[in-house]
Amino acid sequence: MFKGFKLTRKLENTLMLVFTLIFLGYISMSPDMNLESLKGVLIIGITVGIIYGLVAVGISLIYTGLDVVNFSHGEFFMLGAFTGLTVYNFLIDGELIYAIFPDAYGWVGYVIGLFFAFVIMGLFGVLIERVFLRPLTKKGGGYTVAGMGIIICGFGLSVVLLNLAYIIWNPTAHPFHADLGLPINIGGVTLPMTYLWMLVTGFTVAGALYFFLNKTKMGLGVRAVAHSKVISNLVGINVPLYISIIFGIACALAGLAGTLVGPTYQVVVYMGYIILLKAFASAVVGGFGSLPGAIVGGFTVGLFETSCAFFISGSHKDAYAFLLMIVVLLIKPTGFFGVQVKMKA
Amino acid sequence: MLKINNLVSGYGSVQILNGANMKVDNQSIVALLGGNGTGKSTILKACSGIIRTWKGSINFNGEDIQNLPPHNIVEKGLVQVTQGKDVFPAMTVLENLRLGGFTLKSKQTLNDNIEKVFNYFPRLNERKSQLAATLSGGELQMLCIGRGLMSNPKMIMLDEPSAALAPQIVLDIFKNINKIRKDGLTVLVVEQNVRMALLLADYGYVIKDGVINVEGESKKLMYDESVKDSYLGGGGTTANV
Repeated sequence: MFKGFKLTRKLENTLMLVFTLIFLGYISMSPDMNLESLKGVLIIGITVGIIYGLVAVGISLIYTGLDVVNFSHGEFFMLGAFTGLTVYNFLIDGELIYAIFPDAYGWVGYVIGLFFAFVIMGLFGVLIERVFLRPLTKKGGGYTVAGMGIIICGFGLSVVLLNLAYIIWNPTAHPFHADLGLPINIGGVTLPMTYLWMLVTGFTVAGALYFFLNKTKMGLGVRAVAHSKVISNLVGINVPLYISIIFGIACALAGLAGTLVGPTYQVVVYMGYIILLKAFASAVVGGFGSLPGAIVGGFTVGLFETSCAFFISGSHKDAYAFLLMIVVLLIKPTGFFGVQVKMKA
Repeated sequence: MLKINNLVSGYGSVQILNGANMKVDNQSIVALLGGNGTGKSTILKACSGIIRTWKGSINFNGEDIQNLPPHNIVEKGLVQVTQGKDVFPAMTVLENLRLGGFTLKSKQTLNDNIEKVFNYFPRLNERKSQLAATLSGGELQMLCIGRGLMSNPKMIMLDEPSAALAPQIVLDIFKNINKIRKDGLTVLVVEQNVRMALLLADYGYVIKDGVINVEGESKKLMYDESVKDSYLGGGGTTANV
């Protein structure tokens, strides 16, 4: 039986390779295929991918820490975008920032917007967890047992937050005119500055998260709580506090991603819903519950989606992420990094 | 050091402990014996705050600790060491040990304590950068005990340190438990391996149906008929002994 298991693993990887080759072969026959467009697709795909990755990391983090899939995560993304937009407009259009720094550039306001989106969404996430989710788990016997109830509540929370945003910002699309300077040219590809900001900030934050989880004491605690709440209790970790921290970090990442995406598209109240599903697809592709997997899954979904939209057809752009998810679930159900470290014997 | 008065507790609505009384003296080794499902581990879990105490009191070092949050109990110096399987498998041995010292404030103490644990268990030093998942059963148990020692506890409670281990390794671990006691710690051992536990301990308690059935000096308990009773339901062969 063990031998059979090994064989299927090998088979899985072979099938994934075959799928990748077929896909690459198919898009290489596209009439639009040339080096220029390939470079463009690569850069845009990675940029979109890091955003999916950041949201997916949050979903995976909450899944490992709280044993629950947070279906209201997209709403934190949307609220983060609105927070960033509001702060930016307040500073730049209100010309407040020029009162303090007379010759400030637009990006100063944008950085402050990013910072506020990160911090406010983090605190808001902690508040939501403490006030709404925590009492529910007490009734259901803790996060591990409450499962289904919390999932339904996640959907409910999503509707509530969506309507809250309706009341505050009304349903029209808000343009986010971040004044970040002229597009730059990277290796023959003209890239708007908003994309560069997504790339640089996304990678920086992902790196910072890696450092936080692996090199700091608090990160060690987060990983411990993610693995087992009982053992964490026994070594003296304040588990309820750490659950709040996990939820807060995940929501802060989603809020940051929202402000990063804002200037490229528009800020609308329903922007959270599609990103939730795509981030979910990314998390599944990378291996649900694995943090490096979530980032890699984000890149995979971003690249796949962008190349399909460019080389095959742009009109079904949103469907490709789920096509990839279905293919991965069929061929390699654990995702790329979904192998848990098991105890010997 | 630890005084348990009339402890009533259980899981959900199922009552396991029906008023257990126990006392552990300073710098002694006390064995808590009993068959499966008699409530040995439940006592430990109530002491370390993982499950609620329904009635009665748990007094540690002159303070009542029942129903305190678990991390506060660890800070007070009472640490429960679970069975060897309960490590963080995806972390290295060193990270597991660092987690044991999570309540420590200074980095110097943390490093000193890691050295101390490596003195007790040199095997862990050899394996310090390996993932805990790759350790053998005996090494896992050593890691668990080592992790428990990391937070400078006054007393440790061991939950079946001999479970599923080879006799030679059990002997080694029990020698180390004795050494830990000689260095000034108080030890409470929950065991199914009655003979080994009574050889090690000064005093023993036998639990049956959630209450302490028999107690006494371990040398006396070793020949007590009712101890055999507790395990075998009266008569029969001497399995487990």
